[in-house]
Amino acid sequence: MRTGWNGAGDAVRLEAVRKDYGNGVAALDGVSLAFGRGEFTAVMGPSGSGKSTFLHCAAGLDRPSAGTVTLDGQNLGELSEARLTKLRRDRVGFVFQAFNLLPALTVEQNVLLPHQLAGRRPDRGLVDQILRRVGLAERRRHLPGQLSGGQQQRVAIARALITDPAVVFADEPTGALDTRTAAEVLALLRESVQASGQTVIMVTHDPVAASYADRVVFLADGRIAGELPRPTADAVAERMTHLGAWAAVGA
Amino acid sequence: MLRLVLRTLRLRKGGFVATFVAVFFGAVLVSACAGLMETGIRSDAQPQRLAGAPIVIGGQQEIDIAREDPAEHDSAKGKALKTRTVTLPERVRLDAGLAGRVRSVPGVTGAVAEVSFPAMLPKAAGAGILGHAWDSAALTPYALTSGHAPAPGETVLDAELARRAGLSVGDRVDIAAHGTTGAYRIAGIAAAPRTMTRSAVFFAPADAERLSGHPGRADAIGVFTTGDVAAVAARVRDVLQDANDANAVVLTGDERGQFEFPEADASGEKLIVLSGVTGGLAVSVAIFVVASTLALSTQQRQRELALLRAIGTTPRQLRRMVLGEAMGVGLLATVLAVLPGRFAGQLLFDRFVANGVVPAEVIFHQGWVPAVVAAGAVLLAVLLAAVAVGYRAGRVRPTEALAEALAEAAVRTRWLTPTRIILAVLCFAGGTALAIVTVAVMSGPVAASTAGPAVMLWAIGVATISPGVTKATAVLLHLPVKLFTGVNGWLALRNTRVGALRVSGAVTPIMLAVGVATANIYLQTTQEAVSNQAFTEDLRADAVVSGPGGLAPELVRRVQDVPGVAGASEYVTSKAYVEQPYESGQKKKGRPALGLTANGAARTTATQVVAGSLDALSGDAVAVPADLATDLGRNVGDRMTLRLGDGARADLRVVALVKQRPGFESFVLPADLLASHTSAGLAPQLLVRAEPGVDPGTLATRLRAATRGFPVTVGDRETLIAAHEKGNEIGAWINYLLVGMIMAYTVISVANTLVMATARRRQEFGLQRLTGFTRAQVLRMAGIEGGLTALIGIVLGTVVSAGAIVPFCLVASDSLLPSGPLSIYLAVIGLAAALTLVATLVPAWFATRGRPSDATAIGE
Repeated sequence: MRTGWNGAGDAVRLEAVRKDYGNGVAALDGVSLAFGRGEFTAVMGPSGSGKSTFLHCAAGLDRPSAGTVTLDGQNLGELSEARLTKLRRDRVGFVFQAFNLLPALTVEQNVLLPHQLAGRRPDRGLVDQILRRVGLAERRRHLPGQLSGGQQQRVAIARALITDPAVVFADEPTGALDTRTAAEVLALLRESVQASGQTVIMVTHDPVAASYADRVVFLADGRIAGELPRPTADAVAERMTHLGAWAAVGA
Repeated sequence: MLRLVLRTLRLRKGGFVATFVAVFFGAVLVSACAGLMETGIRSDAQPQRLAGAPIVIGGQQEIDIAREDPAEHDSAKGKALKTRTVTLPERVRLDAGLAGRVRSVPGVTGAVAEVSFPAMLPKAAGAGILGHAWDSAALTPYALTSGHAPAPGETVLDAELARRAGLSVGDRVDIAAHGTTGAYRIAGIAAAPRTMTRSAVFFAPADAERLSGHPGRADAIGVFTTGDVAAVAARVRDVLQDANDANAVVLTGDERGQFEFPEADASGEKLIVLSGVTGGLAVSVAIFVVASTLALSTQQRQRELALLRAIGTTPRQLRRMVLGEAMGVGLLATVLAVLPGRFAGQLLFDRFVANGVVPAEVIFHQGWVPAVVAAGAVLLAVLLAAVAVGYRAGRVRPTEALAEALAEAAVRTRWLTPTRIILAVLCFAGGTALAIVTVAVMSGPVAASTAGPAVMLWAIGVATISPGVTKATAVLLHLPVKLFTGVNGWLALRNTRVGALRVSGAVTPIMLAVGVATANIYLQTTQEAVSNQAFTEDLRADAVVSGPGGLAPELVRRVQDVPGVAGASEYVTSKAYVEQPYESGQKKKGRPALGLTANGAARTTATQVVAGSLDALSGDAVAVPADLATDLGRNVGDRMTLRLGDGARADLRVVALVKQRPGFESFVLPADLLASHTSAGLAPQLLVRAEPGVDPGTLATRLRAATRGFPVTVGDRETLIAAHEKGNEIGAWINYLLVGMIMAYTVISVANTLVMATARRRQEFGLQRLTGFTRAQVLRMAGIEGGLTALIGIVLGTVVSAGAIVPFCLVASDSLLPSGPLSIYLAVIGLAAALTLVATLVPAWFATRGRPSDATAIGE
């Protein structure tokens, strides 16, 4: 179990995080979790388990009602909105399910966007290297509308990696893709963890996607409902079935 | 960031078309107004009659009136008395002897006094004929093409006039001038070297002097020189200054036209006010319209903005981006509007000229200054709108990028920010305060002046809370709509309620168009009705004798002696300023002055006498409005000094205190005194009151007989009323034109916004059809939504206009409702409703054309 408090060098650490949306139900109910550097973690759970809220809070997109979130050694609760935005820009990469790219910008421009927002000189060499890594070096001048869904997700991954972030958050990155394309995208995420020690936290409900991770954390009703190291798709699926039943009993 | 802005603009052209169109038409309208304003400020009229004289001396048409009490002014402190410069309504003439003095100035080769007076030829209809002395023909210069110079009893006609009247040398012709008609023999025909907008008849100098009515006084003095015009003009100025003749002004070049066409200055003021009001209105409407188009295009890419926030764009960067996009579009639209703006300005100006608002001699100017000012004003409007929208864009929450359904991101429920509440409260408080001030303090036509600002305040107030109002109205309409329209209506209502923010983007401009148009038009019609009513009620005359060139003074006596006439009075109108005692807060336009004949005044006008008597109205007498007399501390028997219409000081004796209709208070002076200080020099009208039981037809016949031989016409009461209403019509016409333009502008923007908003709902429509809606049902739903949008906009617009009109109507006509045909209101709301429906249904028809599954396909 790596749910403890021992790793001061953790990429992301949540301590007793709670999130209420003002309707009496806690979307997150005292979640404590740590994610080590270079680790690929999948967060799973049935609908309404608090997966999305967890991602929003862990990535600094939203503020928890209670508890602390530490990202790359920085307590997010201490930051102003502008500082938080800058931290996201510099230390966090995002891959969403869909609508990851600005339709007005080319592949290359989309990838470079975080640099431009930070007012940094675009590093052409780095873009070349990253686009080659995701296999889209020839498509750099295309607009997102001219790419397939899988290619768009690969561009999104390239953009997430360009700042060399402390952690990449992926929200159902394969949710809108067919199985074969999904496998390519997941392999790319896996590869970035293995090759360059990237930390990846992926929220998904797909057991096959989760099987690419180093470990799976299960959420149910806003609480941690278990963990599975070195998962296989079958094991995850079985656990999920169980979790669904457990959640049904608990409800 | 700039690159992102440019690329976004290029790729998302569609989304910015609405903003572009809004800015473009706004800029065209504003630059047209700016052109009219430049024209008004310059009031340039090229000299025609005086074009032959390089230097012209004319009367100083401006005087200074005190802005602080001279009695309290401490001249020992060395500070000058505070004054304001006002333009005199009547022509200021010069001593004709000045010409002789100027002739001795070195470099001057000649100086000729010019007199001009209206003349009429029975055979050449139409006004615009001026009589002059033949020795001043050189001022144009007119040269004889046939015949010889006129001797006494002879005349020379300009060639064009002779052709029009079918006259030639040797013919005899009757010419009416200065109230009398005389027979003249045509001695010659003369031609000018350029096109003249007015015709000329020349007389022998002695005849001209007599006919002008002001012997020894000249309208202008033309100075000839062969040397350097500027240098000689400066020398002439020096000489006049030494002679302490501050009454004279020396002008050269195009400015000489001022002396020839003094009415150009008056029309200039009209143009300035008109263009200022319209331009200002256009700019404020532009802020609204651009804000609503920008808000819509921003809202439609909410997810894009949220994504930008998620990957590290600060709110500030997002605001800058929205601002950059808006300014980019705004700049392009403004630049492209420069040329059409010029044409629009010229077009409007031509309409003004055609309708007699501006004399044809005024030259239209639209230089680079108004273009720059207009562009600046429009860009400022865009900037303000973009700042407001950008502020909202900066508040997009990054988590919205993760929302799974597009609809979820598009619907924002939180809109009532503290800023909005404060702004709304301020505006409503302001509107209410204006209403209270109007009702409590103001009286008469002045009350209309608060209506313009009041409309804008109410409109801004309603606009700030329009999403809430939209939602509330949708809730209110729930039952009736559901009863009549079933499931389509129900869905339309849900859409309107849930998408209140989107719908309010269209509601706001409809509200503006309806509100502004209704308020302005009914303000105009009510003002007209009140003025016509006041005129009709105050008019005690049963008949009127009028002569365009003035009435001979002896006519009054003759008419008074006609059997069946109970009373007759000359009727002169002009303006006067109070000089002594000091009157604080005197208007730039002065106070109306009425010239009446003493023994007929009481019978022919509705002026109520509070103290003293109008019978004593002769010599240096004046009757003063009672309230003013109280303010000035003057009573019957006291003296006071006025500056009359031509700037002359008149030390007068108060013979009566009078009470008139509120807003129409005026001095009453002896007709002959006032007339001698007007441009014409004579009374233009004679009011006649019949004895009870005298038939109007009989009266008219007798009056015609009594005035035979004079260049006059006899009309009845209706003639007078019709003439008065006609005078109002010009003002009304301008108002309608300008309101029409503002309305058209707003309507274009509404259509724009709606087309864009509806076209973007393809996915939603597709989804509805997949769930079992027929295409007709979807269209019906869209139609009901359009109807709801129009209805809400119209209701709000009506409320807004009521906020401005009702206080005015209460003051002006003691009624809650304005006077004027209902059809105007019906036309305005009909237009608004029809346009909204068309702008919703046509794009909806296009959006539902394909197969429903195409529309729901994922992707941008």
